[in-house]
Amino acid sequence: MSTTTTAVAQRGISLKGLTKTFGQGSAAVEALKGVDLDIEPGELVVILGPSGSGKTTLINIIGGIESASSGEVTVAGENLGGRNPADLSGFRRDHVGFVFQFFNLIPTLTARENVEVIVELTGKGDKAAIPGLLDEVGLSDRGENFPSQLSGGEQQRVSLARALATAPDILLADEPTGALDLATGRQILQLLQRLNKEGRTIVIVTHNASIAQIANRVVTVVDGRIDSVKRNAKPADAAKVMW
Amino acid sequence: MRATTHKSIRDLLRQRAQVVAVGITIMLGVTLYVGSASAFQNLTVSYAYTYDRLSLADLTSTGGDGDAIAAAALAAGAEEAIARIQVDPPVLIDDTKLVGRVVGLPTNAHPTVNDVEVLTGSYFDPGATGQVLLERHAAETFGLGVGDTVEVFAGGSWHSLTVQGTVGSAEYVWPSRSRQEILADSRSFAILYVPEEAAEDWLGAPNQSAVLLPADASPALEDQVTRAMRAAGAVDVTTQEDQPSNAALHEDLKGFDEISVTLPLLFLSAASVAAYVMLSRRILQERPVIGTLMASGARRGRILRHYLAQGIAIGLIGSVVGTVAGGFLNGAITRAYTSAIGIPDTLVSNHPSILITGMSFGFVVGALGALAPALKASRTAPAEAMRSSSPLHGPGPWGRLVARLGRLPVTTRMALRDIGRSRRRTIATMIGTTLSLIIVLASVGLMTSMTKMLDVQFAEVQREDATVMVDATQSGFPQSLDDLADVTAVEPIVAGPVTAIANGRSYVTSVTGFDLGTAMHGFRTSGGRPIDLPADGVLAGVETASLLDVETGDTIVLATASGEISVTLAGFVDEPFGTLVYGSRSLIAPVLPDTGVDTYLVSFADGVDRDALRQTITQMPGIVSYADSQALVASATAYLGLFWAFVGVFIVLGVILAFALVYVTMAVSVVERTNELATLRAAGVPTRRVAWTIATENLAATALGLPFGLVLGVITAAALNSSFSSDLFRLDLVLGWWPLPAAALGVLVAAALSQWPAARAVRRIDVARIVRERAI
Ligand SMILES: Nc1ncnc2c1ncn2[C@@H]1O[C@H](COP(=O)(O)OP(=O)(O)OP(=O)(O)O)[C@@H](O)[C@H]1O
Ligand SMILES: [Mg+2]
Repeated sequence: MSTTTTAVAQRGISLKGLTKTFGQGSAAVEALKGVDLDIEPGELVVILGPSGSGKTTLINIIGGIESASSGEVTVAGENLGGRNPADLSGFRRDHVGFVFQFFNLIPTLTARENVEVIVELTGKGDKAAIPGLLDEVGLSDRGENFPSQLSGGEQQRVSLARALATAPDILLADEPTGALDLATGRQILQLLQRLNKEGRTIVIVTHNASIAQIANRVVTVVDGRIDSVKRNAKPADAAKVMW
Repeated sequence: MRATTHKSIRDLLRQRAQVVAVGITIMLGVTLYVGSASAFQNLTVSYAYTYDRLSLADLTSTGGDGDAIAAAALAAGAEEAIARIQVDPPVLIDDTKLVGRVVGLPTNAHPTVNDVEVLTGSYFDPGATGQVLLERHAAETFGLGVGDTVEVFAGGSWHSLTVQGTVGSAEYVWPSRSRQEILADSRSFAILYVPEEAAEDWLGAPNQSAVLLPADASPALEDQVTRAMRAAGAVDVTTQEDQPSNAALHEDLKGFDEISVTLPLLFLSAASVAAYVMLSRRILQERPVIGTLMASGARRGRILRHYLAQGIAIGLIGSVVGTVAGGFLNGAITRAYTSAIGIPDTLVSNHPSILITGMSFGFVVGALGALAPALKASRTAPAEAMRSSSPLHGPGPWGRLVARLGRLPVTTRMALRDIGRSRRRTIATMIGTTLSLIIVLASVGLMTSMTKMLDVQFAEVQREDATVMVDATQSGFPQSLDDLADVTAVEPIVAGPVTAIANGRSYVTSVTGFDLGTAMHGFRTSGGRPIDLPADGVLAGVETASLLDVETGDTIVLATASGEISVTLAGFVDEPFGTLVYGSRSLIAPVLPDTGVDTYLVSFADGVDRDALRQTITQMPGIVSYADSQALVASATAYLGLFWAFVGVFIVLGVILAFALVYVTMAVSVVERTNELATLRAAGVPTRRVAWTIATENLAATALGLPFGLVLGVITAAALNSSFSSDLFRLDLVLGWWPLPAAALGVLVAAALSQWPAARAVRRIDVARIVRERAI
């Protein structure tokens, strides 16, 4: 067990007694009320929960775009406790990639350039690897298209390639299929599953219980607390998921 | 309060910095307008008050029999008319010899036209002959007061007069001897009011008549009186408008008049653009909300008014503050001016019509800026509510073109394409750049042109260091001047007042005769090319062409008190100050009356002690007067003092304008792309680099505006300069090589500095909040 803990501390995610309160006094909202969770390197974890339960807050804290009110947060060997999100861009560029429900692509850049611009601006990753990344997300022949010329699913794949451009240890996806239909959503899930099999740690946030079938572990959050943690002995193939 | 009013207020507060920037631009425009327009109004009113109080003549004749002309004027319908003598004889004050001006006044009562105001001492004792009333400028220059004495050279001998009082006159608010000599060495001119019996005894019969028309005189009556005066023998009749002091002051004010409208308009149009950009962006952002409101049946008119009201609110706040500030500026400008020039009456008031116009400027600017965005909002289709984000637009031809520039870094390509992506914002930035450059270049152009003008006048045209007048009976001149160690050259000239006549028109000016090949005067044509003084024929200032409707080769008549000659107009000279006539000494001398005085132009060795030399020369026997050319530069600087101050203010304002506009467009570009920027931040791109990509785009848009700004700036500068020009002084645009690159650089620097708040905005983007808002 001790070897695993070390590995978690080195490359995985470790949360201890994590709380998050928004606002102050009577307007205070306790979004997270004490979360303990370890995610091991190479795991695919789905965080499931009803709207407003604190899923986004949780994944944002892991990704370093939001700070915890108390508790310990260690991600990829870095202690994020008490650090200001504005000072965490170094951490993000070294360790995490984000995929959001809305793709937020830059409309004036082509698919390839949308990936390239991240490499250029962060100084991380390798431009030569970009064609390979686009190939991996199945867009090798659409690289020169502008976002307005791509479907929603294709745009989400570009944003996936963008998240991978800095070669992150951990991929964080908040409702990655939220804006997509079943078929395109499934393709994205398949991609995430494949990336996980290649060894990446992936955390997906969703309120869609069906998606949970593809995970190694399903963490259910209810009202700011972990309600249950279930291990899937045999994760389902994303291609067969229905909702 | 209604919910929509709440929304308006909160919206404006949320965009605080941009609202403030737009408000400040409006405020500056209104402040400038109210300040300068009111000051102009005040000065005009102040002059009119002085003129009225001291009965400044409406018409003044020179030449002929003054008494006969005055009688003719009265018969033709003038209200008052006086005859008086005015002569410019040598005068000795302390040790200074100068050409003064003696004006005869009655001793038993104040004159009914061209009265004087006693400042110290008292008016003449009835029947006095040995008294003098000294005009205040001379009294100040020489530090004279009641009981001091001055001497006048008249009828071949010096007469001593005792100062009875110092006086102010509406004729000499600005002390100019003639329209040609607005600028003077203050130690070379003095106005002496002398009892008329004494003056006429020494100098001859009245040669002037001064006429006051009824208060409600029509142009027809003025014309009738003028004709009667001419018919009675007047050589020339000058209107109050053309009276030298009044013309000089109005010339000086003309700038105010222009600037009080042009410059505020530039600011206000810039403010309108800024308001437009700001509100357009918000409406774009609020489209889903507007769509939802429309879908639930909101009225178009209501939406329209909601956004229009926000623009108007900003406009009104800006204009209220601007009007108040303008009120203060008005008082400050008026007082600074009247005390600098020494204007007797200062009437400061805020003119309701100007205040109302200022206020309505703010209203109109706010409404204009908001109109297009508000109309667009009110036309939002309810279906917009269904789209969670604004639709993606294709890249367009420009985007595709840039896409081919594969060698450039992606960030550069992004900046280049964004210029075409938000055309509205790009154009707004370009307009801001252009307007700033116009203001800066117009002001700098005035400054460099004015400097060049002084340089041309006092280095190229007037090359003498001093003008010396000598009693013609004194022997030994000019050799004794030439013998002085510090004097390098001496040349005789003849000069005097003259009326140039052609095509039934006349123009009162001065004529000077030089030796052919003179080294004391540079004659230059319009292009600045030197030309020689012709052996026969005369050269005249370029304005003569339009004043007399003549061209090179025409014949003009030069008339003086002692006769007239017909001469050929051999060419035009372009000189900054005055519109004068030049000829060879042998051609001009016969037409000028014998004053018993010889005039010499003198040039000095470099680096001489000018005061010591003035002292040495004026103490030589036979010297009648002495005027130092350097003192003219000082006089010019005083005359233009307020002008310099204004130019400085404009340059500063131009830069502020550049800041405000670029800031607004910059802030808008951050807000418009918050999602993209938040995504970049989430990916770990350092704030600095995110801010830099935005800055690159805005600086590129600023740079795109530069050529327009430079071209329009130069055009405006030329127009502004020519609006200052007249027969009194000509101001040609001379920019030199540095102002264009310097102004362009200045605006770019202003743009670069206003990236700082944009960088702060990027830093302040709350990535988590945006991610959550979007992931509803
Ligand atoms: N900035 C904030 N200020 C105050 N309360 C907030 C803020 N952000 C989130 N909350 C609250 O924290 C709680 C958790 O929000 P969170 O976005 O994490 O929920 P979620 O599980 O992601 O919900 P959804 O499935 O709807 O996205 C909610 O009650 C929300 O109202
Ligand atoms: Mg969420």
